[in-house]
Amino acid sequence: MTTAGNAQRKMEAYLGRLRQLLRGMNPEDAREVIEELRSHIREKAFAGGECTTAGVDAALTALGTPEDLASQYTTDDLLARAEVSRSPVRILQSLFRWASLSVGGFVVLLTSIIGYFLGGALTWCAVLKVIHPRTAGLWVFPNGADTEISLRLGFGSPPAGGRELLGWWIVPAGLVVGCGMVILTTRLALWCARQYRKSLALPRV
Amino acid sequence: MKAREGSDQDTVDKWEVQLRKGCLELAILAALWDGKLYGLEILRRLESDSDLIVSEGTVYPLLSRLKALGLVRSEWVESDAGHPRKYYALTPAGRQRSREMTAMWSRFSASMSRLLAPLTKEK
Repeated sequence: MTTAGNAQRKMEAYLGRLRQLLRGMNPEDAREVIEELRSHIREKAFAGGECTTAGVDAALTALGTPEDLASQYTTDDLLARAEVSRSPVRILQSLFRWASLSVGGFVVLLTSIIGYFLGGALTWCAVLKVIHPRTAGLWVFPNGADTEISLRLGFGSPPAGGRELLGWWIVPAGLVVGCGMVILTTRLALWCARQYRKSLALPRV
Repeated sequence: MKAREGSDQDTVDKWEVQLRKGCLELAILAALWDGKLYGLEILRRLESDSDLIVSEGTVYPLLSRLKALGLVRSEWVESDAGHPRKYYALTPAGRQRSREMTAMWSRFSASMSRLLAPLTKEK
């Protein structure tokens, strides 16, 4: 294979890998990114009059790995969309993507899942207490030295051997604490995402 | 003692990185003030007209973000080089944002210079 052919093959391999990694982005935006970087690599590699493998290598090294580059584009894109929509579903989608890229993202995802789950369960419990007043609520089951606390949504028969805590107070308490947890989790996730986006813009010195 | 000196140096390096990071968005908007440029021209302008040492892999995603924010627009233009180039230009919102950031920068820079004057005289 000729030098120019080798150089072209290297460039296309890099762009092909990047294309795969940009799947989370809007397809039209991803196509523009690939075309822009192809133009950039050609411009740099052809600077000496001909396209050499060394020229392409230098251009690709200066751009960084496809993984680093893709994480800046896709995570930024997803997190930016999440910030605008503020929807827990969109935020979790973005966090799943971030979690696949870094340990920090994984920790934020795990914390957010727990926060949304607990917040959602408390809110639902408060709502369902009105529909299932005898069975929904916060129940405690003495079990020898251990005590089991269970948040019940009220489906099925009344629990045997348990005692209900809070009673009707679960309605206001569940709504306030549950909604509060969802709001706090959203704020925490967006704050972490913003910090991460800021760190992505770091010029590498 | 040497470990302590190394740690202090790391702190200074991180501070410098943060400082450069804070300037990058304004630097790109400023590079586009006089007219449209394509990615590599922006990088060359930043290298020649500022001390910012910028990774090429950082500028392109940032340009994409500035476009998503409506501060720049882009267009593909055929070139003599045999491949099209993606040119960026400031939008009216981008020009407004550049002016605001420049005013903030000037105020901040002037007040820091006053504060740092005794330190620079000491040299």
